[in-house]
Parts: sequence; C-alpha cells; structure tokens
Amino acid sequence: MELSQSILDGLTLAGETSHIPDKCFSVLVTRAFDGILDERHKQLIAKDPSFRSLDQAVVKEAYYSMVALVSEASKHDLDINSISSVLEECKYTNERIDVFNKVFTSKKPLMQILLSSVGTSPPHIVDVNWRLDYYIKNNHMERVNEAVYLIELKTEVPGTSETKDVQFSCTQEQLQDLVGKLKDACKCLEKISQM
Amino acid sequence: MLLMFDDKHKNHLSFLTDIDISVLQEFCKISIEFIKKGANTKVYQSAAQKLGVSAETVQNGVEGLMYLLTESSKLMINEIDFQDSILTLGFSEEMRQALLELYLDRRKEVRAILNQMSMELPHYHNLEWRFDVELASRSLRHQVTPTVTMKLHTEENGTTSTQVLQTDPTNLVHLTSVLEEALQEIKSPYCRRIVRNIK
Repeated sequence: MELSQSILDGLTLAGETSHIPDKCFSVLVTRAFDGILDERHKQLIAKDPSFRSLDQAVVKEAYYSMVALVSEASKHDLDINSISSVLEECKYTNERIDVFNKVFTSKKPLMQILLSSVGTSPPHIVDVNWRLDYYIKNNHMERVNEAVYLIELKTEVPGTSETKDVQFSCTQEQLQDLVGKLKDACKCLEKISQM
Repeated sequence: MLLMFDDKHKNHLSFLTDIDISVLQEFCKISIEFIKKGANTKVYQSAAQKLGVSAETVQNGVEGLMYLLTESSKLMINEIDFQDSILTLGFSEEMRQALLELYLDRRKEVRAILNQMSMELPHYHNLEWRFDVELASRSLRHQVTPTVTMKLHTEENGTTSTQVLQTDPTNLVHLTSVLEEALQEIKSPYCRRIVRNIK
C-alpha cells in the first residue's frame, strides 16, 4: 500500500496530542469509517461537538487522511501488523494504534462489502417472472393453438437503483432447453463446491 | 366452416372453370409461386397469349386462386368443408379433386408463410454460460467471489441479438427452480384440460 506524502503528513497531524486530543481521536476514527459506510453520515464530522474547539483546518486534514488510510487499508486487506507499522512511522503512540486497530477490525468486513460493490459488471440477474399463455389466433392466421411462455428476468445494473428487465418468449421445447442448460450449470457448481 | 365468396371472386374464378385440367394445374403452380415470391407479370403475358384472353383475366384468375388457398389455410378448414365451399364455383368434379389435392399438399407451406407476416416477440435461441471467480478489482483486492456469466441469444424477425448477463450461485439455483416449476405447469391437469377443449 502506497500512501502519498500529503496523506502521511495528515496522519502524523492526527496522531499528535497537541492537535487532536485523546478523547477526540477515537471519535475521529469512528467518523472516518462511518462517513464512508453510510451516505447520511458523510457530513457529520463538520457538526460534531467534540471538534468544535479545535482548529477546523487541522480537523479537515486529519479527517481526510484518516479516510484515505481506512479505504486503502480495507482495499488491500491489510492485517493489524501492517497497519501498526504504518502508524508507527507516523509517530503514533501505542494507545492510539490500539484504538485504531479495534475500530478497524470491527468495521473492515463492512468496508470490504461496500468496496466489492463498486465497479462495473454485466446486469446481475436477481429474479425471474414467467407467464404461460395459450396462443389461439392472430389477424393473419387462425387455429394456431400453441402454448407460449413469456419470461422476464429482473436484473440489477451497478450504478442504478432500479431493476432492468430482459423479456423474451419461448415455446415448451425452448424452455426445456433453457432449463436443461441451467441445470447443467447448477451441477457444475455443486461439483466445484465439493472439491 | 364454409368459405364465403363474393361476386367479384366468383367472377375471377369463373374464367378458370372452362379450361383444361392441365392448364388448371399450371395455374395452381403459378398461384403458389405468387404466394411465395410475389407476382410475375411475364408469366401472365405468356399464359394470356396461349389461352387467347387478356392478361388481366389471367391475373384475376391467379389472384382468385391464391385467395382461395390462403383463406382456407388460414382457417384450417377440413376436406369436407373445402369441397363444399368450392361446389358453388362451377368447377367440374375432376377440377375440384385437383384443387383439394393442391390445398392439402400446400397447406403447411402457406401457413408457414402467413406465420412470417404475424407479429413476433423476441424469442429464446440459445444460452451459453461459464463459471468465473472474481479475484480482484480496482476497488478491492483479495476477493473470492464466484459468479456465473451467461450469454443469452434471442431472435426476432430473423435477427439474433445477444446479451451478456451475470448471476451468483444462489440466484442461479433460484432461477433454475422457478423455471422448472413453470415447465411443470404445462403438464398439470388444468392446462391439459384447457388445451384439449380449445381444439
């Protein structure tokens, strides 16, 4: 994990008792995580009463460095030792390192879940609806008499909150073919999971 | 169910009643070609010259025959009804037999052509799938996320289009079970009863 010099400077700032007193430090760390994890908490640090007495520029710098460290550490799946060494380089005291590590271990899984949903992927199927119709006639032909299935696949596209639908029709044979292929895929999955 | 002809149709077809049976069979072939590929005016000209009538009469005769064929195929009328319908047109016994044979032979073809004219929904053509494991992305390293990537081929009016979709193992199993249920539904007694009764 590479952190830029400005972030390391900001971290050092956050570690100094003269700038961020001890009781404010754990709040800072928790806010850094919550600000990323929950949209609604993003601006809370600005209104937080514990930081009102401090220099706002310092708070701002400390906060963004903490956020950068938190997201990079979660991204690279660092363990406690690697983070501790980074923080030691920034001249953190052992208590502050422990405070950070405690919050980090509890919130890391949530951060990773959030990060895994960032990115592009093809539309992800989440549900399927079907309908069985009996096709009797149309305006060119009578006595058609066929069974037709209308299938609708509900997909989620990363980035949009609404589902997109994929619709198509099929006859009984085509549906049998489709279901056969899906069952093959399921069997393949089972075999792999047993390995 | 009997076919109804109005006077204009009867007029057009009346020209065909006085001709030779072999000529009638020629006309049958021409009308089938008309259904498949559209009108061929050169053939009309040559036929008109051979028979000594105007090209327009020939064309009307062919179109009348074509109308007879398409309407009967569309309604899927059975032999007896077909024979009864053409009784009033004034064809001889032999000719009626020939027309009946033509109808029964070509019925499927004509219906296939009529099918192409009707509305079509995009229908399933093929599904390809593969099993992937996502190891890392720009935003997160050290992942082990199983995914199933699928390519769905659908066809509409002759053009195939493909779509790449993705799902995870849980949703794949859910998808398979729901669609299997759908497949079972058509074999249920209720659906069978409906299908039997609508015939």
